[in-house]
Amino acid sequence: MAAPSTILRRLRPISARGNLLARTYHSYDHPPPPGPFSTTESTILSASLPHIPSHGFTLTSLSLGAKDAGYIDASTNLFPQGPFALVHYHLLTQRLGLAQKKEVLEADEGIGAKVKKLTWERLMGNKEIVHRWQEALALMAQPSNVPTSLKELAAQSDEIWFLSGDISVDTSWYTKRASLSTIYAATELFMTTDKSPDYIDTREFLDRRFKDVQFVGGVVGSVSQWVGFTASAGLNVLRSKGVRV
Amino acid sequence: MSTSRTLNNAKNNGVHNDPYPNSSHIPRSASEALSRPAPRSKPLTQAQRDFLASALRVNQAGELAATLIYTAQTPVVVASHPHLRPLMKHMYDQEAGHFSTFNSLIAKHRVRPTAMYPVWTIAASALGWGTAIMGREAAMACTEAVETEIGTHYNDQVKWLLGMAEQMEASGEQLGDDIKGLISTIRRIRDEELEHLDHAVENDAKKAVPHELLTSFIRAGCRGAIWVSERV
Repeated sequence: MAAPSTILRRLRPISARGNLLARTYHSYDHPPPPGPFSTTESTILSASLPHIPSHGFTLTSLSLGAKDAGYIDASTNLFPQGPFALVHYHLLTQRLGLAQKKEVLEADEGIGAKVKKLTWERLMGNKEIVHRWQEALALMAQPSNVPTSLKELAAQSDEIWFLSGDISVDTSWYTKRASLSTIYAATELFMTTDKSPDYIDTREFLDRRFKDVQFVGGVVGSVSQWVGFTASAGLNVLRSKGVRV
Repeated sequence: MSTSRTLNNAKNNGVHNDPYPNSSHIPRSASEALSRPAPRSKPLTQAQRDFLASALRVNQAGELAATLIYTAQTPVVVASHPHLRPLMKHMYDQEAGHFSTFNSLIAKHRVRPTAMYPVWTIAASALGWGTAIMGREAAMACTEAVETEIGTHYNDQVKWLLGMAEQMEASGEQLGDDIKGLISTIRRIRDEELEHLDHAVENDAKKAVPHELLTSFIRAGCRGAIWVSERV
């Protein structure tokens, strides 16, 4: 009896396990559930953000922030994951900030154009701390932090597609989010080494990545359309010959 | 017919107060979504959000399969029984309406669609085509089996949602339009599905050979698909 019940437990709804595919019901009548940080934690973390350009994603920034917010240095014990809390908070606030980019969201443009602009806005959210971002990437790549990092990346892609007005609910839901996540992660890494004025090189890199994805998507779309058309035409020819299919 | 009777007993005539008749009320843009009136009540619990997410996901998958089954059945069935054309079209049109209802609900509430989408597409088309080839009775037995499972499934969802509504009202919370709308939408769709069940039985579904084997096979498949779609 023990074995089947363990298996069943493992097959519980993915969303219930906080998996990175968790995209659970978004209510318009009820406030959103509480986020990962408490009020105190958020106060300390937001006070720490201004210290990141000079002190990096480190415990130093965190304790300076705690001091600024009026807490004792030891308050950094609130964050068992250490400096990664700063990275997580940065990712979270940048993601939620996307909904405030009114000039992009209210523009009279297509979904694709909005996705590109929002992605660019998000990259520019790293501008102040881009010289420290490799530290953050190292923290994100630590095994214990990988689930949170991936979840944030997935949530960000979901947010960008949703805010851009995309309402696709078939397999393209997955491919859209996956390709945007790849593009974003690659461009973000490219940006850490970009020394060009106003990040022109990053901009071009991003445009090229979007073009590649559009090309591949176009080919896949045409091929599947051709296969579908040929199959249904073949079936109709058989039917016209009186074959009962 | 015992299943059908118990289902009909639980019928409720909340059909006409659906605030979103076609559930086409998706916020057009993110800014519209954000400018919606501020929420008044407590956040939904994790269990409630999980239930709503998996309910919408499985319902969309089910309606996708239903439209595909009828799409695959119609040409074959109609070729040998032209008098069934209006019935097949009527049932297909209703299923297509349900499908678009759940599509817009899934997009609106940001629920992940099922990852098995391509699998259900192929399986449902194969099921529809396969039963249609076996003849009109088998095609109708397929409808009978599927709609019996789906009716029970929707009924369970309505029960769960009503329980949730009762709980929320007991604790003094206001029930949002979304949940009210969802309950009446699912009720309306359930009644339409059960109507299809009646049509199938009227059209000799019970005369399919081997009826028991065929329907229990399809019903088991349906339950399996529901179980999977609620999860992935």
